Amino acid sequence: MFTESELIEALRQRNPEAFSYLFETYSDKIYRLAMSLLGSEDEAEGIVQDSFLRLFEKLDQFEGRAKLGTWLYRVAYNASIDLLRKRRPVVPLLDEPDDEGLPVPVVYVDWCQAPETILASEEASLELERAIAQLPKRYRTVFILRDIEGLSTAETAEILSISVSAVKVQLHRARLMLREQLSAYFSERLSTKPKGLAQPKGLAQPKGVNL
Amino acid sequence: MKCEELLTYLSDYIDQNLDEELTEEAQNHLATCQNCRVVLDTTQQTIFLYRKQGTRNIPAGRRQRLFKQLETAFLEKIA
Ligand SMILES: [Zn+2]
Repeated sequence: MFTESELIEALRQRNPEAFSYLFETYSDKIYRLAMSLLGSEDEAEGIVQDSFLRLFEKLDQFEGRAKLGTWLYRVAYNASIDLLRKRRPVVPLLDEPDDEGLPVPVVYVDWCQAPETILASEEASLELERAIAQLPKRYRTVFILRDIEGLSTAETAEILSISVSAVKVQLHRARLMLREQLSAYFSERLSTKPKGLAQPKGLAQPKGVNL
Repeated sequence: MKCEELLTYLSDYIDQNLDEELTEEAQNHLATCQNCRVVLDTTQQTIFLYRKQGTRNIPAGRRQRLFKQLETAFLEKIA
């Protein structure tokens, strides 16, 4: 374990353990962020590589005003956006939605107590990925950094170069949009009987069982 | 508090960013409004499911290769 300043100092001295620690702490996080924006393992790997290499070059000038993690995230985020820009030069980049009005809940089914066979199924996992992929990129990134990676609102704002209040608004929208998608999916799963368990005709349905 | 207000404050409520007064108003509303209760619970469950699923690491082979490449670059930079 290193404190932030110990880590920077050890990295400057090219301490291999400090490198391992840095890699173990940040490589997966940065990869996930890049993956969510770019959707390509090769490109995401390239982003991790470039971000770390840039950090190595900057080590001597690193002022410690930004945390290493924040700095890496920021570099990786900007590099991912640059890559997107190159890929699709004409399309508006962050597909910014208009910020008017909150998404209004439509589905009011409580699926929290759904059985694990539904909540933790492979199909549900794919549905989670589909839902997050449909979010506007900015909302997606905010949701990932705040709710999945557990960063603070302030740190997220710094990484994305947006205001704290923008982070809050976008996170709120992202959560409500995802809730809506998942509610639609899970309420559907709860109301349909699992395949293969259909009762043969002529057999009485058990009473009081609500699938 | 009305449903629309509860919805506006929902994330702040989840993140415990509301002051005492608003928190109490939200709790009072939630105690009597089934719909808002469901929206709150399913939003929290949504976050929980993503948190559970969202922490996948770099695939092992790729990760190992990347580690080696970066470690080499890191150690070569010794002045
Ligand atoms: Zn209500």
